[in-house]
Amino acid sequence: MYEKERDLIAALARRQIGRRDFLRRSAKLGLSTALMSGLMGQSLTHALAADSGIDWKKHQGTSLKLLLNKHPYADAMIADLDAFKQLTGMDVTYDVFPEDVYFDKVTAALSSGSSEYDALMTGAYQTWTYGPAGWIVDLKEYINDSSKTAGDWDWDDVLPNLRASTSWSGVPGEALGGDNAKQWCLPWAFELNSISYNKRAFDEMKIDPPTNLDDLMDKAAQITKSDKNMYGIGVRGSRSWATIHPGFLSGYVNFGAQDFTVEDGVLKAAMNSDAAKAFTGQWVKMIQESGPKNWSTYTWYQVGNDLGAGASGMIFDADILGYFQNNGDTKEKGNIGFHAFAANPDAKQPTPNVWIWSLAMSNFSGNKDATWYFLQWATSKQHDLFGAVKMDMVNPVRQSVWDDEDFKKRMEQNTGYLEQFTASAPGSKIYFTPQPLFFDVTTAWAAMLQQMVAKEVPVDEGLDQLVASINDQMQQAGLQ
Amino acid sequence: MHHTSTGERILRGVLISLALIFFLFPIFWILLMSFQTNAQILRIPPSIVFTPTLDNYVSLITGELKTASGVLKLAFMQNLLNSLILSVASVALSLVLAVPAAYAFARYKFRFSEDIAFTLLSFKFAPPLLVLLPLTIYFQQIGLANTYVGLIWVYQLITLPLILWIVRGYFEDISPDIEHAYRIAGHSWLRSFLKISVPLAMPGIAAAALLSFIFAWNNFVFALVLASADKQPVTVGALAFVTASGIQYGQIAAAVVISIAPTLALALFAQRYLVEGLSLGAVKG
Repeated sequence: MYEKERDLIAALARRQIGRRDFLRRSAKLGLSTALMSGLMGQSLTHALAADSGIDWKKHQGTSLKLLLNKHPYADAMIADLDAFKQLTGMDVTYDVFPEDVYFDKVTAALSSGSSEYDALMTGAYQTWTYGPAGWIVDLKEYINDSSKTAGDWDWDDVLPNLRASTSWSGVPGEALGGDNAKQWCLPWAFELNSISYNKRAFDEMKIDPPTNLDDLMDKAAQITKSDKNMYGIGVRGSRSWATIHPGFLSGYVNFGAQDFTVEDGVLKAAMNSDAAKAFTGQWVKMIQESGPKNWSTYTWYQVGNDLGAGASGMIFDADILGYFQNNGDTKEKGNIGFHAFAANPDAKQPTPNVWIWSLAMSNFSGNKDATWYFLQWATSKQHDLFGAVKMDMVNPVRQSVWDDEDFKKRMEQNTGYLEQFTASAPGSKIYFTPQPLFFDVTTAWAAMLQQMVAKEVPVDEGLDQLVASINDQMQQAGLQ
Repeated sequence: MHHTSTGERILRGVLISLALIFFLFPIFWILLMSFQTNAQILRIPPSIVFTPTLDNYVSLITGELKTASGVLKLAFMQNLLNSLILSVASVALSLVLAVPAAYAFARYKFRFSEDIAFTLLSFKFAPPLLVLLPLTIYFQQIGLANTYVGLIWVYQLITLPLILWIVRGYFEDISPDIEHAYRIAGHSWLRSFLKISVPLAMPGIAAAALLSFIFAWNNFVFALVLASADKQPVTVGALAFVTASGIQYGQIAAAVVISIAPTLALALFAQRYLVEGLSLGAVKG
């Protein structure tokens, strides 16, 4: 490398110049954007090495293998991976599998005790199975070990609700993030649920984004009846856990409804409480009046595609789903706005349930200490910032990245995104009660919603049936 | 001599056209999609008038997908190569093993012959996941995990019983008298098998090989569980275009077009054998 470029990187690493200045001077030196991104990643990594207090070269020569899902977050990590290799002298290989089959692959690898993979991507819900089964490592011992953890890694910089949401004691019903909780994974990037809407349609109809569920239902119906050739509200509807966790649960808990109650340590399904029945009734009516025609087949993809293609007026789903439609190759690119949403007009704040893509360490890894170095780097401020500013690693999990001016500037191009995040973040966490039958319970819940929307069963009766069936399942599994 | 009236001919033509449209339209639509961008594909209402682009094919072949956030690597051509290696090698190995076995089951009655043949067929009934997890552990212990050899071995569960049972029917249809006559002329059993039986059963062998190739090509779960990403076939690789940031419909369509090409070419080449073979093997004389 030439001296001038090397000096420039060193100056950034010593924080003598800012990132913007770095990029400006790089451009003057005639460096391409891709090269500048790479240099920036390297310089950030140099900074990590300088301030860490641990020997990053300790595991030099070790080779790690990762199991990754095909996702923008994994793409961001791969784009920056050379920086880790340079920092540590380790080699890292990876297998990337499509999301449709990813968790089948993870389950097969972990349940067979395979030592092939050292670290893997996971969702927090999945760790409720992997952790108690002994397939992944409790990372608390590493986090608390100053001889293995860099001083500036700064665990406290990770948003507190996300730290809590990825830790659990393994006792069904016990709150996430409690004193006895084990840290099954490290938050990597996440999504919360809010309203993403078609700005043009809203402007033409002279309506504002909805502020509560009644308002949402009114505006969705208004859009459906308009001449816009779009339906009012996109939400998921397939027979899957993924139908429950985004908008539905976020609105549900905003009215104080719960999935389970814990009485004397015993879990009781609570989907038929008064609050649950009232909310579910409105939700079902909303879909019947203003949802997509084939709602019962709707997954992440259909909800997002319709918003991006201008077929729906708004969605109550992951904020990053709207973000991808606003920044991807879509008809409505640049025309999506974002708005925080509290379904209950009396609620103090929105309560978005979250999905957290996280990194976990396989218990069958033969290189656990070296893997911990990788996990630290991949969740470091430096990499999080690189991913958030240069790639599509949104939403970042670190407060410092949300406070970063470059990141803010980038996100300001998405109308209302930062504002919805600021309003939503304090109440964002996992609202499900952790228990090992999570996927069975939520799939049954989604199936009952389908029956109610199809008018095969009245809402109150359907929820009573659901509760009876779930309690039965819990009993058979020895959880009651 | 029977003469068809004009009305009958028109009706037949209309019905054939309708059948062709019904079966070919999805393929035609996928072909059109493969030359469109995502925005063109997702417009409402859909249209067949568009400015074609080769970007989807270029992305697949070069292995680089340009997105708003940079260039992403695609492994589709490697997936295609894996499918070819796994399917061709599996069928070839099955032919070597199953054709002589089918001949033995057809010509000779020996103890437990039917039980053995049925056991081989029963491999087709077993749910793959039932055997895959134990296999994962064994494969790791004996070093076959994540190897083509290991996968080709497991693919025998798909291809071998199919070939064995189809080809057995063919051998049973061929009169043994022809072979006997050849043997009386002083030729060995092996020569008789290679020069008489196999050529006579060739339509059946070709049909069985083609069918088992299609089954092997379409397999999804074996490589997914037993191998790393670099050994995955197209059936798994094509899903990589479905990501959190959106579905790349254009690339999926181009991937479908490219991935059906080998099977289509093989089917066209073996068409005459296939029709003759399937009909001959179906009925015992």
